[in-house]
Amino acid sequence: MLACCVKFCGGCNPRYDRGEAYRQIRDALDGIASFSLPQDGGKYDVLLILRGCTGCPYLYEEISAVRRFTVHSREEADAVPAAIRSLAAEQQDS
Amino acid sequence: MMTKAQYIESLRKLNLNLWMFGKKVENPVDDPVIRPSLNSFAATYELAEDPQYEDLMTATSHITGKKINRFTHMHQSTDDLIKKVKMQRLLGQKTAACFQRCVGMDAMNAVFSATYETDEACGTKYHENFVKFLTRVQDGDLAVDGAMTDVKGDRSLSPSQQADPDLFLHVVERTADGVYVTGAKAHQTGFINSHEVLVMPTISMRPGDEDYAISFAVPTDSEGITLIYGRQSCDTRKIEEYNDIDVGNKVYGGHEVLVIFDHVFVPNDRIFLNGEVKFAGMIVERFAGYHRQSYGGCKVGVGDVLIGATALAGDMAGSAKASHVKDKLIEMTHLNETLYCCGIACSSQGSKTKAGNYLIDLLLANVCKQNVTRFPYEIARLAQDLAGGAMVTLPSEADFRTPELHDYIDKYFKGVASVPTEDRMRILRLIENMTMGTAAVGYLPESMHGAGSPQAQRIMIARQSNLEMKKELAKKIARIN
Repeated sequence: MLACCVKFCGGCNPRYDRGEAYRQIRDALDGIASFSLPQDGGKYDVLLILRGCTGCPYLYEEISAVRRFTVHSREEADAVPAAIRSLAAEQQDS
Repeated sequence: MMTKAQYIESLRKLNLNLWMFGKKVENPVDDPVIRPSLNSFAATYELAEDPQYEDLMTATSHITGKKINRFTHMHQSTDDLIKKVKMQRLLGQKTAACFQRCVGMDAMNAVFSATYETDEACGTKYHENFVKFLTRVQDGDLAVDGAMTDVKGDRSLSPSQQADPDLFLHVVERTADGVYVTGAKAHQTGFINSHEVLVMPTISMRPGDEDYAISFAVPTDSEGITLIYGRQSCDTRKIEEYNDIDVGNKVYGGHEVLVIFDHVFVPNDRIFLNGEVKFAGMIVERFAGYHRQSYGGCKVGVGDVLIGATALAGDMAGSAKASHVKDKLIEMTHLNETLYCCGIACSSQGSKTKAGNYLIDLLLANVCKQNVTRFPYEIARLAQDLAGGAMVTLPSEADFRTPELHDYIDKYFKGVASVPTEDRMRILRLIENMTMGTAAVGYLPESMHGAGSPQAQRIMIARQSNLEMKKELAKKIARIN
């Protein structure tokens, strides 16, 4: 099970529903990845950054994660489950 | 930080001396006329609890290192200034109203830096007093009203020249423990929903005006404070039997009150300026600058809702594909985003004060607000253009709920067949609310006069315009020695 952390941008003018996108990603990866909000000192396999638009510069480098996925649109959000599934498969193989 | 529920409960403990429609209001929290404004203010607490918005809604205190609501934060970088504007846009989008908490944040940032520089020049201890107050505000996640605007009486006279000395708030008695003040602050947004009031002078002062150069904070329910509620157009729709569709925005709103200080005591450790006339102008200029930046966020968020409502009105009437409708929506968006550009620009060009917090670029902040005095009116005009006359000729909700009339209204106010008439009524009433009703107070005249009327920005633009340098540029190009 991959430990995934989700970080939302502040959401001042989002081009898609970030909350709904997150719920769909989480549900699609049920049994493959567990999701949580960032905790101080936490270490994660994946950091999922859900930005509402392309104007937000923050990388959240203070959050420790092996892989980072940054999403700016609904289309990019839809591609996340497949990418995390392949990552989980790679991890299982190794 | 306080939760939304804790915040609302904390307001129940206040013992405000509030009057509205000729009667004392015993329970402002549950009053149907006032409650929408509380809901807007409470959104500043509610969104701070939500992980989807915490990046904008919260910050780290530079004093304690704790997570705090951004509305109590001293901006530590230009990034903080930008996040402030983004947070305000977000809250405008969620409430379609004035959420009132900006004025305290702007006042605190202005007084934080001004007290530092006053102490540096005068050897006073105001900054220490202020940091103590600020720490309490941050730790308790308190709501603070920033009170600047005096009633001003004869505008051609200075405070100390007025026929009635109380037309500018001033010190009337001095004791070893503190001072007593008398006067009034007008147009106070969010006062009823605040725990504390941070009072500032309203204009630059001259020698002779020492008693008027006063800044301090006291609890909003201090003895001697009386509040008179400012009425808004269509406000009594909120207390009619059918009070859903016709109010336009059932949940959120804003308010202003006249705040009268009648011999109110201020202890020494809550005083942040007391007679240093030279520094009154610094507080005024910085507060106005921050608040002029604010309007490049909050009004943009409200504008987003109005643009959305206007587009929906077009969809519901079947006119969405008409080229002039599309073009007017583009124009509304262009105007709205121009305001946002100004808010972001003055933030990105901010600089560090001697006290350590960041101040916006004052020229760009004043340009921002000058545009805000105009563009929301044009956006509102275009919204009314596209909404059509039904926005102001619709029958009441009471008629719509009357069996003998319901089917006629349902039939003759229908637009596109697939859209329920009631939905169309709701959108048209929302546009009415934002451009003519209770919310228009916040979106239009507040855009005109809040944070200073247009001429105040023009004076600041003139001061900051660097005209001599521009003349030199022209001379050089024209080859004039």
